[in-house]
Amino acid sequence: MLTLQINGKSVEVDVDPDTPLLWVLRDVLGMTGTKYGCGIAECGVCTVHVDGSPVRSCSLPVGLIGSQKVITTIEGLQADPVAAAVRKAWLDIDVVQCGYCQPGQIMAAIALLKKIPNPTDEQIEADMSGNLCRCGTYMRIRAAIRNVAAAQGVNP
Amino acid sequence: MTMTERGLGRITGMLFTLLASTGIHPAHAAGASDGQYLTRAADCEVCHTRPGGAPFAGGRAFAIPGMGVIYSPNITADRQAGIGTWTDDQFVKAVRDGVSPGWKHLYPAMPYRDYAYMTPDEVKAIRAYLATLPTSSARPPANTLKFPFSIRAAMIFWNLVNGPTSSHPDDPGHTPSWNRGRYLVEGPGHCAECHSPRTITMGVSASNAYAGADVGGWRAYNITSSKTDGIGAWSADDLATYLSTGHADGHGSASGDMGDVVSHSLRYLTRQDIDAMVEYLRGIPARSSTDGAPLVVDQPTAAHDPADSHGAMLYAGACVGCHLPDGSGRQNPVASIAGARTTLGAANGQNLLQVLTHGSVLQTATGTASMPAFHGGYSDQDVADIANFVMHHFARSSTKVTAVDVAKAKAGSTPE
Repeated sequence: MLTLQINGKSVEVDVDPDTPLLWVLRDVLGMTGTKYGCGIAECGVCTVHVDGSPVRSCSLPVGLIGSQKVITTIEGLQADPVAAAVRKAWLDIDVVQCGYCQPGQIMAAIALLKKIPNPTDEQIEADMSGNLCRCGTYMRIRAAIRNVAAAQGVNP
Repeated sequence: MTMTERGLGRITGMLFTLLASTGIHPAHAAGASDGQYLTRAADCEVCHTRPGGAPFAGGRAFAIPGMGVIYSPNITADRQAGIGTWTDDQFVKAVRDGVSPGWKHLYPAMPYRDYAYMTPDEVKAIRAYLATLPTSSARPPANTLKFPFSIRAAMIFWNLVNGPTSSHPDDPGHTPSWNRGRYLVEGPGHCAECHSPRTITMGVSASNAYAGADVGGWRAYNITSSKTDGIGAWSADDLATYLSTGHADGHGSASGDMGDVVSHSLRYLTRQDIDAMVEYLRGIPARSSTDGAPLVVDQPTAAHDPADSHGAMLYAGACVGCHLPDGSGRQNPVASIAGARTTLGAANGQNLLQVLTHGSVLQTATGTASMPAFHGGYSDQDVADIANFVMHHFARSSTKVTAVDVAKAKAGSTPE
């Protein structure tokens, strides 16, 4: 039995320690907001936060996380102000096309904006480059992140 | 743990106390009767298993430059393909003296000179453990050695030149822990087989022991106590962590053959044994080598050399998913590349190219950490650009590799 801190709750799961976090989230806990993409940490669609940093849950064994670190999934950000700003910015310019990669894009964007409230284009590209989008919405993702920074009143 | 296990543990503990009080050979005290532990300490599985094959069924190829290819034999208890019909004494003679039944002399790819550090009883314990494992009828391919290396009896002369095998009594001038470490490093661990240069007869060099060597396209680094070329600048803790987990922050991760050694052998050793190995390794006299890893590493900078721009772009696309833009590793400590000698451009970037073109796999207590090989969709020049960017950006290393070096790394040979 392993204990994990997920979205503010302490959760006990009966899995092998080498089970990837994504399997625990989706198959054990039924939290399907986080998607499966490549399975080898190359596409970023399964991104969640561990202690605020974006991680690829498909390649992170739960045994490595431990019972103290704080896991946040896309379901756990309902009341988060940065997440609310990102949601609004995404809707304002209609970032999404097919949408499959977007949970990962949004989690990566939130982590970036919490770390750097007003990122330069170069910082956006560096931090978001591990998140692939087969529809090619990259330009709108970058614009939406810029809009969040502007709407929060951070001087460019 | 069940009641029986707990009871057994207590009896074993009492036995060890008893043995310790009767002054038994300290180097052999712990785990002497545990065949599985010794089989792991001696890392039998890696060499006696072909990639993807049944464990211990042999067939792994050892290409020896200028001589040919040797395949490891099946050492499962199968009576036809394996060693099921051998007596215990025949097994001991093969492991400790390099002579298998019918006076068939083994090639010293089998480190019998090292394994002679183990007592006959310890070797029998390995045999007993192997006998409990599933058998396999797999037969490895025949060796393709060139004349005169194809004559096994020639090994009689090799053994004469390289000294007879012998057991090694403890050195009373050192601590029991040092002696245990020497036993593990020089004996079952057979570290010198990869980490020491070879003499003209392909024997392990005693005068230059542990000064590093090229093995199958990889650089087995200098592990003497040299502060510049070896591991003299590592803390004991870092070294122990590296050996038992395959990674130490600021020193990178084990890959290639060393990754195999950690995955199948070192990670199963007790902390006490790992500490003993560290004590012994840190006492190996410093010897210089040409590994050339710089000692002081500057922090990576945001700006990068325009000459690196193609490599930087490829790094951003292919590598940051796991290694992050600053190389600190996204989520798994194993992915942190800061301070790794591969990243620092040691040995002409040889191991970095091996990792990029062959990938890397490490078994850890929490699952498999692996890096895929990057050559399918990437040209040799692309891979060279990534390597040059990584070495320059993360370590300010002036080492440069070329597309030709990448092609050589793919073929498993050493760059010039």
